[in-house]
Amino acid sequence: MRLTHEGAVPAAARTVDPITLEVVNQRLQSIADEMETSLCRSAFSSIVKEAMDASSALFDRGGNTLAQAAALPGHLGMMIPAVRRILEAFPSQAMRPGDVYAFNEVYEGGTHLPDITVVVPVFWDGEVVALSVTMAHHQDVGGAAPGSTPPNVTEIFAEGLRLPPVRLLVDGQPNRDVWEILRLNTRVPETLLGDLRAQLAAGNIGRRRLEELFGECPAPTMLAAFDELQDYAERLTRLAVEGIPDGDYAFEDFLDHDGVERDRPLRIRATVSVRGSRLRVDFAGTDAQAKGPINSVPASTMSAVYYVVRALAGSRVPNNQGCYRCVEIDAPEGTLVNPLPPAPVGLRSYTIKRIVDVLLGALAQALPDRIPAASHGQISLMLVGGRRRDTNKLFVGFLGVPFSGGGGARPGKDGIDVVETDINNCTSYPIEACEMESPVQFDRLQLWTDSGGAGRHRGGLGYVAVCRWTGGPVVFSHRRDRHNFRPWGLYGGQAAPLCRTVVARRDGRVEELPSKILTHLDEGDTLQFFTTGGGGYGDPLTRDPDRVLADVLDGRVSMEAARREYGVVLDPSGSRVDSAATQALRAHPRDGAGPA
Amino acid sequence: MSSTDTGATGNGGNAVGERRGRLIVGIDVGGTFTDVVALDREQQALVAVKVPSQPRDPAGAFLEGLRRAVALAGRRPDDVERVVHGTTIGTNAVLEHKGATLGILTTAGFEDILPMGRMKRAEMYDLNADPEEPLFLAPRRRIIGIPERVDAHGTVLRALDEEAVLAAVGRLRDEHGVEAIAVCYLFSFLCPEHEERTAALIHGRWPDLPVSLSSAVDPRFREYERLVVTAFDAYLRPAVSSYLRSLEERLAGHGFRCPFQIMQSHGGISASRLAVERPVGTMLSGPAAGVVAGAAAGRDAGFRDLVTLDMGGTSFDVAMVRDGRIETSTEGRIDKYPLRVPMVDVHTIGAGGGSIAFLDAAGGLKVGPESAGAQPGPACYGKGGTEPTVTDAGLALGYLNPARYAGGGFELYPELAREAIVRRIAGPLGMDVLQAAAGIHDIVNTQMAEAVRLVSVRRGYDLRGIALVAMGGAGPVHAGRLAALLGARAVVVPPRPGVGSAYGLLMADIRHEQVRPYPRPMARASAAEVAAAFAAIDAHCAEAMRVEQVPLERVTVHRYAEMRYIGQSYELSVPLPDAPIDAAALTALRRRFDEVHDRYYGHHSDESEVELVSLRGVHAYTLPAPVSRPADASAAGPASAGTRDAHFAGHGHHAVPVYDRFALPPGATVPGPAILDQDDTTTVVYPGQVARVHTSGSVIIEPAPAHGR
Repeated sequence: MRLTHEGAVPAAARTVDPITLEVVNQRLQSIADEMETSLCRSAFSSIVKEAMDASSALFDRGGNTLAQAAALPGHLGMMIPAVRRILEAFPSQAMRPGDVYAFNEVYEGGTHLPDITVVVPVFWDGEVVALSVTMAHHQDVGGAAPGSTPPNVTEIFAEGLRLPPVRLLVDGQPNRDVWEILRLNTRVPETLLGDLRAQLAAGNIGRRRLEELFGECPAPTMLAAFDELQDYAERLTRLAVEGIPDGDYAFEDFLDHDGVERDRPLRIRATVSVRGSRLRVDFAGTDAQAKGPINSVPASTMSAVYYVVRALAGSRVPNNQGCYRCVEIDAPEGTLVNPLPPAPVGLRSYTIKRIVDVLLGALAQALPDRIPAASHGQISLMLVGGRRRDTNKLFVGFLGVPFSGGGGARPGKDGIDVVETDINNCTSYPIEACEMESPVQFDRLQLWTDSGGAGRHRGGLGYVAVCRWTGGPVVFSHRRDRHNFRPWGLYGGQAAPLCRTVVARRDGRVEELPSKILTHLDEGDTLQFFTTGGGGYGDPLTRDPDRVLADVLDGRVSMEAARREYGVVLDPSGSRVDSAATQALRAHPRDGAGPA
Repeated sequence: MSSTDTGATGNGGNAVGERRGRLIVGIDVGGTFTDVVALDREQQALVAVKVPSQPRDPAGAFLEGLRRAVALAGRRPDDVERVVHGTTIGTNAVLEHKGATLGILTTAGFEDILPMGRMKRAEMYDLNADPEEPLFLAPRRRIIGIPERVDAHGTVLRALDEEAVLAAVGRLRDEHGVEAIAVCYLFSFLCPEHEERTAALIHGRWPDLPVSLSSAVDPRFREYERLVVTAFDAYLRPAVSSYLRSLEERLAGHGFRCPFQIMQSHGGISASRLAVERPVGTMLSGPAAGVVAGAAAGRDAGFRDLVTLDMGGTSFDVAMVRDGRIETSTEGRIDKYPLRVPMVDVHTIGAGGGSIAFLDAAGGLKVGPESAGAQPGPACYGKGGTEPTVTDAGLALGYLNPARYAGGGFELYPELAREAIVRRIAGPLGMDVLQAAAGIHDIVNTQMAEAVRLVSVRRGYDLRGIALVAMGGAGPVHAGRLAALLGARAVVVPPRPGVGSAYGLLMADIRHEQVRPYPRPMARASAAEVAAAFAAIDAHCAEAMRVEQVPLERVTVHRYAEMRYIGQSYELSVPLPDAPIDAAALTALRRRFDEVHDRYYGHHSDESEVELVSLRGVHAYTLPAPVSRPADASAAGPASAGTRDAHFAGHGHHAVPVYDRFALPPGATVPGPAILDQDDTTTVVYPGQVARVHTSGSVIIEPAPAHGR
């Protein structure tokens, strides 16, 4: 199946002067930014407010993006199939002022069920001229586990409420039937409805501001500018793709497992083919869809590709549909990257992240001076849910360890310690916020020595966290990856270590958790998280010994690893490089040195 | 002209601002120039002096400028009533990474709060980005964990290991030569005892080693932000205190025995010897003073709700004034680092006179953020710049006076401006040079207008009711157009938009404030506890005001609660009713929170539970208004300086009347299109607008409603 969504290239020649075009471009982006600001700041759930797992965009009436404020790169283009599905059910000619539409169904254009897309049509002279669109990850839409992304289910039906295109507002009034269905299908109705209202408010800001714009500029000029801005973004993107040498670049990497069949690693393979200004991604060779919820529907798979395209083209390119016209995606049906129903999809973020790793790994062959080694490649998104002892209310919350680990080393510099990478961009939860809000107590949260892959440029470090659960029994949804497959290095750089999670139960039992499991916590259980760093870049034996020394002094690299990985010998005090010994060791590197 | 001094004295004749002095001097040390303005209160005369800054010895330029200004005013050092100083010493130390060698103490197990930061990155698509934490403050080897722990209720779980403190600091001193210590333990905002004991231990052993405690600098939750601001405070301490102490001594040595005051980031001023106690508070001293000047000009021109715009060569700064009060933030940033000190909420974008216009690879017309800076500068400077800039466009459009630019210091070359625009923009696009120049202005104006809009909507403003205050050399060129784009009510152009910061120093209030944590659901809040917390804040601020020697009965007090709906992670600052703090006041506070939330976010929820996070008290003393009208206004001369050919969209290219701004008497009105020239800027009155000289000395431009783009 072709996943590419090519908007119709406008036949009309350029009818808008470049000044008007740039002014409209800025106005559209500013409107999307204003919507996004409003949405993130006024939402109730921490997942929107802290994690900013929400996006705002303006679309033309044909369902093409005009501007998107993506708080998360993983949302790039993600709303396109959803908006098109809504337009299919409610064609723009049939839309009425005051009506607002909502949708989340995964197999018709959604991404995973907590992401609800809300569309506010914008009218001018009685006609729909654009759509003001928001998408937010809601804290809970029902299903088998709090948070609606249970790691161990085998059908979409267990992941929560599936919403076809519906009218959220009719004639400006809440469509009670729909709101009641939503209310009954979430564990946290106040939060869900609060966040939906935040989406409505943001959507209305976009509508009002677009109406102002149409009031200032003749509608035909505006509509022509919408088309030309997409052409313009297409031209810039094509120029970026032309900068990649023509060729076919293949790469593969693995996810640990799907949370259900824990002994089955999942292969993702992609061939990136570049011909002039066209870039094609073929996922042939990717494993069949999984039983567990790790499947990535087309909207999700596309976002990974779009992130990589944007990382190459640069953020100055207007964020609209035109960026995607020169990109073609082939994702065989029935695979991890284009599953058939009723496969569950709740954990598809892990798959999107691994797709990015695979695409970057492929492109590293074409662009060795631009592409970093693999980053930590997982998301430590751990939810707890249960009944609060104090209020007796159901609650869902994060266990506040950082989601991310270290960034991959770059061709010219070290990776960044504990940082959001590629498709993710959340703010971490302060320990103090976490302990004030949840019955948990941290004993440690520190950088993990030696967790950055060795290299001429070292991978960024991951972390070690140790915390104790001090509340009553709760369901614990443990979701990570890279417990079985290490983040790779490039051009002689070493891989980073594996992630680990160890639970010491209060009765003394110690369990090593697999990366995805639904388990429980009870008072006194202690959790230890080791979250990996990024891969290294270049041969570690060529790293400047003084920089290795600095890493030892700063505890990023142990003395043993300095010797073993980097061939750097320090004097016994550990404060100086023993140059003679280092030279000797580097001249005769031990067996096993070299690229991963 | 009569003095505007109220003459009232509260507690004796020598309180600040009420001494029988004659001269108030404001000194703003900037990167290139040190601006000095001296106001003679008897003669209502204002003198301004510009001397080159001396980066190696900022105090040298300070004293040089001060001496010259006093001499120019025909006065002696003992005529000076007070000296107010805006400094970049702290900012520069941070931007150039030249602060103290710093050691940091944290709770054991949490040494990596700084390098781990908050994970999120500003540049999401940059594969080669750098870390966004201020890692230069201290490498990991200078961050040491101390065994101790307080829990989320403020209860001590593990006692402070005092030996470990001494051992750690000993090591930091001996092995790393640290010059200052920052201490940030978990939950110290609920229980400061461990941090305070740590400071006492350090002072006992190393009396001269400066220590900053997070529980004193910023006692609020979120450990990364608290640690960063505390570390900055310690990092700046040696530099700021030695600078200010040496200035104090040198002032005294030169016979200036008057109060010496420092502009703070929050827009108030403070006695120098109080400012050295919280060095991080001086970080945005310069920009804050500019906003103070803008707010004062707007207020004197009769406007209470303002947006101040400061457009210079490379950047465009926006700040807001609501009901006469400057909006401050406690979640600000410097560079990319969070800086949780109260500061004037200045939003900056990269748009200025030097912003370069260019065609990108796909033929799109873009302006900035790259800037030609001062070297080589815009093409029209004739210093070798070849890229067309916003200033070049302004010159080509006929707005700027080529013979009288930026203080008349140098000439502009219109031909070079036109050549650059034709070569880079007009030629390739097949436009004429005026069309292209107008386009460059359209684009930069849209950028600035959208920045103003985003900043103001985030603060819940309705732009239709506000006036823009135009400052900076380029501000008054563009402000009229921005007002039209934004639908603002008016533009206020202060008398001296180019030296706003030095001017603002003369107008600032003395201000002290304190924040105390009070994390509590509204339902369980106790009026008695809140009142007690504010009583403690008041006592602290009153003590500072006593040092300032101001009449305490004329200090105004404002109280705020930082609040949120339970579960939200951003707080809003909500003013308490001006009434005794009782149960009714708390009920009113809850209602006000809903109102503020509604204003900021467009909705509120009566049913949702609200919680308090912290309480803030602000004490301010307004110094007697120093000036009612600048002396320049009395300068004589012909009102009209002739005409200039200028281009306005929809009006073509015409001879437009040009006026010498200071030759226009109060009450004069000038219909647009017209241009008002003065040494430090040019004011453009666009077609459909009318300029009027207000008695305060400001020019007020009333725009026609927005039309077209």
